[in-house]
Amino acid sequence: MRLPAPSRIAFRQLAALSLASLASFLGGWSWIEGPQSTFDTQGPVAKSQLDVFYTTVWVTGIIFVVVAGVLTYATLKFRARNESDAHAEPPAQSHGNPFIELGLIAASVFALVIIAVPTLRAIWYTYDVPEAEKANAYEVNATGLQWWFRFDYPSEGLDNSGHLVTGNELVIPANRPVRINLRTADVIHSFWVPKLAGKVDMLPNRGNHLWLQADQPGYFWGQCAEFCGEDHAVMRFRVIALEAKDFAEWVAQQKQPARTVATNLTAEPLRIQPASLTFKRNAPGWSQEFDLNPLENWKQKQFPEKDENPALIAHGRKLFQEKSCISCHTVRGHEGVGTTAPDLTHVGARTTIAGGLLENNEANLRRWIIDPNNVKPGNKMYVGVPLGASVMPGYMLRDAKTGHLTPNIKIDNSEGAALAAYLLSLK
Amino acid sequence: MDTIAPASLPTHEAPAAEKRPWIFTRPTAKTGLISWLTTVDHKRVGLMYGFSALFFFLVGGFEALLIRIQLAVPNNTFLQHQTYNELFTMHATTMIFLAVMPLSAAFFNYIMPLQIGARDVAFPRLNGFAFWVFLAGAIILNVGWFIKAGSPDIGWFGYAPLTSKAYSSQFAGDISTDLWVMGLQILGVSSVVGSLNFIVTIINLRAPGMTMMRLPVFTWMTLITAFLIILSFPAITIALVELMMDRNFDTGFFEISKGGLPILWQHLFWVFGHPEVYILILPAMGIISEILPTFSRKPLFGYPIVVFSGACIGFLGFGVWSHHMFTTGMGAVATAAFSLATMAIAVPTGVKIFNWIGTLWGGHLKMTTPMMFALGFIWMFMMGGFSGVMHAAAPADAQQQDSYFVVAHFHYVLIGGSVFALLAGIHYWFPLIFGRTVSEFWGKLSFWVIFVGFNTTFFPMHFLGLNGMPRRTAVYDGNMGWNSPNFIATIGAFILGIGIAIYFVTMVYTLFKGPKAARDPWDGRTLEWALPNPPPEYNFAVTPSVHARDAFWYEKHHRDEIAREKIQHARSESEHGGIHMPSQSWFPLLTAIGMLVGSLFLANHNYLGAISGGGLTILGAYLWSPKAQAATTCTPNLTPTAKTPTPSTELPLIFLFPLSLYLSPSSSPPIPPTPTPSIGIKTKD
Repeated sequence: MRLPAPSRIAFRQLAALSLASLASFLGGWSWIEGPQSTFDTQGPVAKSQLDVFYTTVWVTGIIFVVVAGVLTYATLKFRARNESDAHAEPPAQSHGNPFIELGLIAASVFALVIIAVPTLRAIWYTYDVPEAEKANAYEVNATGLQWWFRFDYPSEGLDNSGHLVTGNELVIPANRPVRINLRTADVIHSFWVPKLAGKVDMLPNRGNHLWLQADQPGYFWGQCAEFCGEDHAVMRFRVIALEAKDFAEWVAQQKQPARTVATNLTAEPLRIQPASLTFKRNAPGWSQEFDLNPLENWKQKQFPEKDENPALIAHGRKLFQEKSCISCHTVRGHEGVGTTAPDLTHVGARTTIAGGLLENNEANLRRWIIDPNNVKPGNKMYVGVPLGASVMPGYMLRDAKTGHLTPNIKIDNSEGAALAAYLLSLK
Repeated sequence: MDTIAPASLPTHEAPAAEKRPWIFTRPTAKTGLISWLTTVDHKRVGLMYGFSALFFFLVGGFEALLIRIQLAVPNNTFLQHQTYNELFTMHATTMIFLAVMPLSAAFFNYIMPLQIGARDVAFPRLNGFAFWVFLAGAIILNVGWFIKAGSPDIGWFGYAPLTSKAYSSQFAGDISTDLWVMGLQILGVSSVVGSLNFIVTIINLRAPGMTMMRLPVFTWMTLITAFLIILSFPAITIALVELMMDRNFDTGFFEISKGGLPILWQHLFWVFGHPEVYILILPAMGIISEILPTFSRKPLFGYPIVVFSGACIGFLGFGVWSHHMFTTGMGAVATAAFSLATMAIAVPTGVKIFNWIGTLWGGHLKMTTPMMFALGFIWMFMMGGFSGVMHAAAPADAQQQDSYFVVAHFHYVLIGGSVFALLAGIHYWFPLIFGRTVSEFWGKLSFWVIFVGFNTTFFPMHFLGLNGMPRRTAVYDGNMGWNSPNFIATIGAFILGIGIAIYFVTMVYTLFKGPKAARDPWDGRTLEWALPNPPPEYNFAVTPSVHARDAFWYEKHHRDEIAREKIQHARSESEHGGIHMPSQSWFPLLTAIGMLVGSLFLANHNYLGAISGGGLTILGAYLWSPKAQAATTCTPNLTPTAKTPTPSTELPLIFLFPLSLYLSPSSSPPIPPTPTPSIGIKTKD
């Protein structure tokens, strides 16, 4: 990205300042500085889009001041001030002035040209990776599903077959253009990481793409931006940008099959009775400690938990089969082979679960596993996945005709704890 | 005003009614329920449109308040996700199709014929039919609240494939989407027949001398809006038929598993949907263009350019639909083209604002409540227009699309624009319609509370959107920086609600207890103010002659000339049989009930029932056609008189039912001849 000229910096700062002063007057900087702020751009695509936005703000802002000034003046100056004023002889019945009108039309056209030129330039720039950098671009596939995101790395082949697949957290190399092919498995979704790039939709039966680049390593919030059904509001994801070296390490680690803590499945399974958890519907799944340094916390997550209990993990692994989790989820190297749900091979190394909704920790895992419908009403793990005319059962068995639900999988608190321990061990 | 006293006109004795089978007896009640159910009077139809629209406006507002309560704090549990989705779907559908459009239609119906000096619309029964069909559509859309299937939850835009059987239903018997499809389809019928009626009326029923370039701007905007409706609704009609086929008969227009193209839905929807935006705002601009000159006491600045820019907006409005789809990956060229076209539409829109300010310039501004709303309209519409230009720049829109920035934008143009103008219009024409004066104190108070509440609600949403909050989300986390703007917006929504409540209570009080209004209370400029309030059934005792734009203003300044002319017209009119008004009829209602029944059965996938509903519709149309051969002769002292029955000559028309709606005349000879050699005056024939 070209270095901005000094005048452009001043222009941008001034625009930011005027918006920000208004915002801070109303409630502080947080109004435009959230994790999904479009002002706090971290890459060239978002920056180019913000520049166009500032151009429109400037042009319309100046017009607003002029027109609003004239309107205010006219309103105050020609106002009838008293009864006799209001009933005076009517003013001259003038019908207009073509020169003023044509002049104003010309001025409006001129103002729009000022906006149109940078707009056109940015349309082509943001549409695809610039020619010069095409060879250097890293390619990823993102697929939207009700209500989570799957990420495929076509260039990261696995030893036996296929390629690397993750869910809900997209890890990319920083400082390098990333071209993301956008697909959907069901309805329309939209891929939006505001700090890196504006959104592009994922359309059925139609390939789509966007490109973005993170200028620095970082942890970014993203969210589905096209209404996609019941849980659209909680269809979220993260993008983690890493230095080239860290990224290579991460890829190498991810290509490994799932980590195995204990193989002794014949031992008497350990049943623990953890304090039961009660979560209100929609209770927040994030923590301030995490938000203070998200990237550092993400890195910590790559290492095994300190207090692992091998017996409990082994029990969890067994339950993972018994409760038929394996028919939808994959744990590469372990038992799971399903593809309709997120790949859990390295789920313990992710910072979020449940489609980016909950921070990935023991309590949240248990909350999600025991009562998924409370976390994400109507989710497919709970109500089942429609397959043609029939429905693959989830926690509930759904009658295809009436839609009536009967319980199918039941997971109690103790089983939830074992499953959580197992999943957290999958680094 | 110099009118001829009704008594000075000879009354016309009509022949006594013949004995007829009961089904052919004509309803003649002038008061009571039956008079409303059978009415064909454009003013009564207008009032029914108005009252229904205001009812649904309150329903939609209530839905909005529930939405705002849910969003007041992060992770709220006030509503289920599902309920929230139903609420935002129905809020939008209700406000667009059941509140703002019919409220505009109410003004088209009531005010437009008065402004052109007509006694009714061209097809009075078709007019009644349009209203009853509208009510049928409204019932179908809202019936979901009372049944197990629930209300539609697919968004007002109904993007495929979310509307397909695979995704729109929690269980197989979910007919909420079918109800939405049928409801919109039926509303389309209402809008199209209504619009054809308005176009024919404006082109054919203008008073002598009312040339096109003398038409009041509101009537001009009615004409343009009507053209937009008849040209844009076919697109959504086709899309809805295709969707209905997909859902009922397993076709594959949008069905992904059959290789259908969901993007096709978006194109069809927005080819309708963008002109729809102008369908909502052009009538509002027309109202503002009436109010500003009246209270500035000078003519509209640059009348021709205001009219032409309205038409220009209408044309360009058909070439910008894909700016709703900038994020669908249309490719750089298409994106650039639609981006530039959208910017171009800002020019005629800006021109209107310049001309409104030019109208104020040098006037004597009377700061009445309608004037306050009109000025508020200019301010708010300007804000909404500027954020509109921001979306037009496609790269900026990539961040704004489907975020709260867009929500802020269109509420600025639809509330700050359309609704402010409609509220201004109600206040402005209230003395004419109901003959009572609305309190200025309560009117102004309601304006300020609405103005403050509106801005408190929607201004923070700009920041929410730019801070990354997507639309249509039932919950959000507390760590995103969205808490305080959301909370402020919710407070604002309640202030706005209080403002609307003050407005409505004031209006209802005035309706029953308000002081009687004097004739022409605002020193009006257009013909409707020439009438007594409320206007009589036949509107004009004597068809006026128009000598200038702002016809009534001219009359008031040329009293002697006009008085002479009126006496002459009155004589010539009475020599030719007096005033002829169309007779009342049950059949528009019956035909509409047939459509209601048929649609409900079709939504429920019960084809036998659907066919019987269709049969009822055809029966209604059949009975309507022969009945049409009659007219009421009506004298200015309002004595209803009997009519001449004629045998049916239009039986073949039943085979062409849809066509028959447009072709079947609503009343028949005797034809009063045009009083003067005139430009384009036609009577119903």
